[in-house]
Amino acid sequence: MGAVELLQFALAGLKNGAIYALVALGFTLVYAATGAINFAQGEFYMLGGMLSVWAYAGLGLPLPLAGLVGVAMTALVGGVFELLAVRPRKDGDLLAIIIITVGGSMVLSSAARHLFGPLEKALPAFTSTGTVSIFGAVLEIQSLWILGLTTLAVVALWYLYNRTSLGRAMRACAVNRDAARLVGIDPRRIVTVSFMLAAALGALAGLAVTPLTQTAFDVGPSVGIKGFAAAILGGLGNPIAAVAGGIVLGMLESMSIAFISSTYKDAIALVVLLGVLFWRPQGIFGASRREKV
Amino acid sequence: MAGARTYFALLVALLVAIAIVPVSGCALETGPGDDGTTENGAATGEPYRIGAVLSLSGTLAGLGEPERNTLLMEVERINEAGGVHGRPIEVLIEDDASDAENAVAVTSRLVERENVIALIGATGTGGTMAMRQEIDRAGLVQVSVAGGTVITADFHPYVFQTPWSNSIVVPFTLSYLEDQGIDRIALIADSGGFAKDGVEVIKQFIDDFDIEIVIEESFNPGDADMTSQLTKIRATDAEAVVMWNAGAEAATVAKNMAALNFDIPLFGSHGNARVEFIEGAGEAAEGFRFAAGKVLVPEAYGVGTPEYEVATDFIARYTDRFGKAPDTFAGHAYDALHLIVEAMERLSEEFTSEELRDEIEATSGFVGIGGTFTFSPTDHNGMTEDNLGMYEIRNGEWTLAD
Repeated sequence: MGAVELLQFALAGLKNGAIYALVALGFTLVYAATGAINFAQGEFYMLGGMLSVWAYAGLGLPLPLAGLVGVAMTALVGGVFELLAVRPRKDGDLLAIIIITVGGSMVLSSAARHLFGPLEKALPAFTSTGTVSIFGAVLEIQSLWILGLTTLAVVALWYLYNRTSLGRAMRACAVNRDAARLVGIDPRRIVTVSFMLAAALGALAGLAVTPLTQTAFDVGPSVGIKGFAAAILGGLGNPIAAVAGGIVLGMLESMSIAFISSTYKDAIALVVLLGVLFWRPQGIFGASRREKV
Repeated sequence: MAGARTYFALLVALLVAIAIVPVSGCALETGPGDDGTTENGAATGEPYRIGAVLSLSGTLAGLGEPERNTLLMEVERINEAGGVHGRPIEVLIEDDASDAENAVAVTSRLVERENVIALIGATGTGGTMAMRQEIDRAGLVQVSVAGGTVITADFHPYVFQTPWSNSIVVPFTLSYLEDQGIDRIALIADSGGFAKDGVEVIKQFIDDFDIEIVIEESFNPGDADMTSQLTKIRATDAEAVVMWNAGAEAATVAKNMAALNFDIPLFGSHGNARVEFIEGAGEAAEGFRFAAGKVLVPEAYGVGTPEYEVATDFIARYTDRFGKAPDTFAGHAYDALHLIVEAMERLSEEFTSEELRDEIEATSGFVGIGGTFTFSPTDHNGMTEDNLGMYEIRNGEWTLAD
């Protein structure tokens, strides 16, 4: 195997990894705010693509505006979902919230199927369908957009967490909900905002990928599982770890195809995931957390 | 403590569920009402009830929808023209949600509660096979609209199938490849039922041709990128890539290949005879070749032939009513319904299930949308390679390949 091929496998892994990373970021945000896993995260990815297609093809908006509408509407759906379905469960019972999100994901995909039909839909590439050559390996220009948007999302999240009062409030809630309440932060508001941000991030991924793969009402669950695995692999609750987890998972899959077999790529990735969790239950990059008795 | 807001949320969830369920779960009835009053010339009297198990939701919904449209349109036409033996046809459509377990449950309901005389479906191969236990129990005729080779290869006297199965498309495709002077192929397929079946059939027939499989790669339904698999294929000396996949991933494979600057051609299957493939792959679809029924370009039959007339008439009526051209799945449903109805017309007004089965098996030279059907006691698929054409996508349109 030549160096060019190896680079090509690495680029493919990086591209898939960036997609998983954006979805994983959504899992991490909701986990930080509620301690629960939001299994509707994959549906936000689906809605981002579907609503953008609707705004572009249905309303005839120019692509950048249509994308913005798609992401904003998905964020809104995320907020409404939290207010209507998650918030009424006042005791914050984790199992109940997880099951609520599973149900929510079914409602969202059924609704999308009825509103937009069962067929896959396409979007044009953001700027060009061309490719760039990197030392002989090629990458679609749309993939550069995916990598760029993922980087932008990480920088924006870093800024939010470290430089704004909302971000500090979110971090405070993640560390200790009751203490945060004592200093005047409303944890319920933080949870709603987290769901909206998670929805927007998922939607951004769905929007960026649609020009490459098309989208349909049923694309959510498989991407959701990959994003969840990436978040666990990196370490839940930490945005940088989620991104790293996504990239590691994408690379693992690509290298499995390169050196072992494409038939078992998902199985290999899952075996590695299990192995890592035996070794470090908190994820590769997650801070170890010891509960005091 | 369950507060008022919990109940409010439950109420909202219930309302959403109520809004969704009727469209997906209930039987859609057609034909005249109970009082039997219809317009002049239309059929009256006790209707013949035919059950249809289609996937109107779930992953196969894109196939089930045109199938349902076709059944509704054709039953209406048959009844307006006087029905069968002066009695109307009633088709009871049930949604199996693309799930084999559900297919069994709704079949059971159609058999026990609705007293249907025959069954159309299921949309998927898995559902079709699962229905077999109910077919056995009730002793009813089943005409499947699913493409799996197993449906008729695993022979059952009461089961018929209308789509071209992989066992005729594969040899047709391989012999085309051989004629093109292609000796070494790379195989790429997904892990779904249709593709797995295709790969098995390819391996079964490959020795009959002067062709060698140099590499075999797979992907999963829903994968966003196949660059890694294609990079491996590019490193081999394959002269063509043969893909077996009926989903949206086909367009991704075509686009990834274009991005990687492949200089060998991509061949697909009848699973790619979908407008969505052309829309999704865009420029990367140019030059893509696949085998499918002649109905995609009815001129392939020869203008003025009976096959051409049946196909163009159906395409015109469907397009007029639903605002878009029918796909091949619509054609499979048309064939299933008309095969049953034609056999009923040849029988007297009252008949048993066994007589209906025998009469369908005796079908010879029935001109449908998918091709010309001639069944025999050993062949319940009824089509041959003569019904297929090789297509090439040029300027975003299906054209006959050279």
